[in-house]
Amino acid sequence: TPRHATPSIPSRSLPARQPANVLEEARARLHVSSVPESLPCREQEFQDVYSFVESKIIDGTGGCMYISGVPGTGKTATIHEVMRCLQHAADVDEIPPFHFIEINGMKMTDPHQAYVQILQKLTGEKATADHAAVLLEKRFSNPAPKKKTTVLLVDELDLLWTRKQNVMYNLFDWPTRRHAHLVVLTIANTMDLPERIMINRVASRLGLTRMSFQPYSFKQLQQIITSRLNKVKAFEEDALQLVSRKVAALSGDARRCLDICRRATEICEHSSTTGLVGMCHVMEALNEMFSSAYITAIKWAAVQEQLFLRAVIAEFRRLGLEEATFQQVFVQHQALCRVEGLQPISVSEGMAVCQRLGACRLLLLESSRHGVLQRVRLNVSQDDVLYALKAD
Amino acid sequence: MLRFWGPLRSPVSFSVSSVQSIMSKRKVKDAALPVGECITQVQKILRERLCHQQLPEKPEGLEAQHKHLLELLKRTAVHGESNSVLIVGPRGAGKTMLLKCVLRDLLEETEAQKNLLQVHLNGLLQTDDRIALKEITRQLHLENVVGDKVFGSFAENLAFLLEALKKGDRSSSRPVLFVLDEFDLFAHHKNQTLLYNLFDVSQSAQAPIAVVGITCRLDVLELLEKRVKSRFSHRQIHLLSSLTSTQYLERVQTQLSLPDHFPDGQFAQDWNDSIKTLCRDKSVGEILQRHFNSSKDFRSLHMLLMLCLSRVSVAKPTIKPIDVQEASRVCFADATANMLRGLSILELCLIIAMKHLNDVYEGEPFNLQMVHNEFKKFLQRKSNSMYNFERPVIMKAFEHLQELELIRPVDGSSAKTQREYRLMRLMLDHSQIVEALQKYPQCPTEVKQWGMSAFG
Repeated sequence: TPRHATPSIPSRSLPARQPANVLEEARARLHVSSVPESLPCREQEFQDVYSFVESKIIDGTGGCMYISGVPGTGKTATIHEVMRCLQHAADVDEIPPFHFIEINGMKMTDPHQAYVQILQKLTGEKATADHAAVLLEKRFSNPAPKKKTTVLLVDELDLLWTRKQNVMYNLFDWPTRRHAHLVVLTIANTMDLPERIMINRVASRLGLTRMSFQPYSFKQLQQIITSRLNKVKAFEEDALQLVSRKVAALSGDARRCLDICRRATEICEHSSTTGLVGMCHVMEALNEMFSSAYITAIKWAAVQEQLFLRAVIAEFRRLGLEEATFQQVFVQHQALCRVEGLQPISVSEGMAVCQRLGACRLLLLESSRHGVLQRVRLNVSQDDVLYALKAD
Repeated sequence: MLRFWGPLRSPVSFSVSSVQSIMSKRKVKDAALPVGECITQVQKILRERLCHQQLPEKPEGLEAQHKHLLELLKRTAVHGESNSVLIVGPRGAGKTMLLKCVLRDLLEETEAQKNLLQVHLNGLLQTDDRIALKEITRQLHLENVVGDKVFGSFAENLAFLLEALKKGDRSSSRPVLFVLDEFDLFAHHKNQTLLYNLFDVSQSAQAPIAVVGITCRLDVLELLEKRVKSRFSHRQIHLLSSLTSTQYLERVQTQLSLPDHFPDGQFAQDWNDSIKTLCRDKSVGEILQRHFNSSKDFRSLHMLLMLCLSRVSVAKPTIKPIDVQEASRVCFADATANMLRGLSILELCLIIAMKHLNDVYEGEPFNLQMVHNEFKKFLQRKSNSMYNFERPVIMKAFEHLQELELIRPVDGSSAKTQREYRLMRLMLDHSQIVEALQKYPQCPTEVKQWGMSAFG
């Protein structure tokens, strides 16, 4: 058994190519992974978290904070930036030194693994979940000389939920101990998570220090892209505005915005020679990423498949319901075949057509063991189907 | 024994080599091979193409998608950019073929070939994250792998893999390509841990990875959790074929044509000509049109062509229109109607009785008692004792029908009720029953009349 294996991915024989032109440079800067030194548009949140943690470190006390917001609003990035700045402050002796560790609920297989990971990051020891819990309990409740403050970041908090909620309870109970010197920052998506899933004694220990990250507005998104590009001239102003307005209207997710811009640079690279990403490229990228493929799928479906969809709608109209059995639809299908002047198809073939439409989820089907009695429903709106079939 | 065979062997081997030398000379001159050998070659080449999913030179009709995917993977392999993409299309549209073509073209470049690590996962094999993780670790040859065994618990494996990926960076570590076949099944894993972590790595400054998902579900993005969806780059490559029927016909022709490097030039010429005339034939055109109408799936087309090809032999070295007709008949045969033809008269009578019950009571479920009554009415009317079976015999026939799944108990009524009173539904369409009656060998006239009549 390899006991002390060091995890690593083999390194490449040739170094990666550097970006060669403006568009490639822009693409590298726009990648979600290249987080900038300072985050634009999150100054207020940065300040709040910074002062909260700083005061706790200086006082040598503990505390909890709950941070919420929809995905892609810069929660984790802001906290990381705060920690970087505090680390820097500690290095120049402005504040006492501290530990920073982070765990992520999605990166563990079981809520109790949180103990194992915290212990390992604090001391480097490996232990089972139960043993780690005991060791951590001892560490946080007993006084020790020259104890440094520990800042613990818990990302994706909702995944740490267990039936007894003992993991959450411990996480929020440790900071209240006198000798713990522990600051816990928790991140999750929903604002009302403490009220919704936590029992009273857990929610009360989490306290009322809450902060919520609002989705970015279009101006903020625009500012984010501009600051990322940092004077690399690759985009037209209008194009940037269009992307940020579209994304802000839908979700306000910065990741989406960056991905669309990156795709637009690719489209630009293939189409034109001007080297500036314009409106048309951005439009194309937006269409690619936001449009659903249902209508195209119906439009390009085989003749019998289209006929089957029409039969489904005809049967729904006849019944006045949104559900019919295959047998009922099939009768309509045969009639439609005759109207269209096609050879009527056998039940097996009709079933195959139905299953194919079910496999790509244009239809919702019961399991096929019900045979001709299986119930059929549409997964798209009737209007979409009619539009797609009428368009040509 | 050796000594006995020794002197004999040399002349034999001599003759073989002389034959071979003659053969090779023949090949050079491109002279005719015996027909049998040609047919074997034809079968070998075409079967490889149709059944083994041999990769084509260029994916036809998918040039734009090919280019998009190739560019994307090239940027991961060469520039170390992390990406994620989903390939979506109906079954048999060539999703895996596209990916394989792209990988083949990508690996021609030395820079990509030397650096790229590949991990292939399939949602049908890696049914949960634990198995998937072991498979990833194994395929990456990480250091907790000894031989073919992966050490450590599930949690340790995950931590190890994430640590390994975290240590890497864009410019120095080898890019990893993750291919997730049947992507929608991965979305059903607990918490979507694997997907979250893969997409998270692709969106943060760690080892460069490309995640390629292959699925046939159009609504795949709705399966993803919010945080997983936010980390996915929303690139989707749709393979929806805009094929027309003429292109379909061309495709049939290219699929059946022999390549230029066929050993016997004359035979290949003749074969290709015969395929051309076959495709121009009107009846063949109609059949192919019907297949095209039914589905644009290439796999079902390959199935049809395989059936045609299997009728080629030395005695009949070309495909004739009649072969295509025959193959299409096999493809389109209705399975249940075939089954009905194999039933006994009593079973057929019971099915007719059920059909009448369905007509009268508008599809309400029935039990054996009702069917038997209906059957008795028929017997009384005809005053014919020929089919006057005992009740146990009828019960037996009824159970046989249930075993063939031509009838099916209504859900939830199975265990508690007695067999005669268990509610059933008929799993046949009326058109199937009518067709079966017409095709049933030597069906008694009165049964046929009873079946065809609108009233029981």
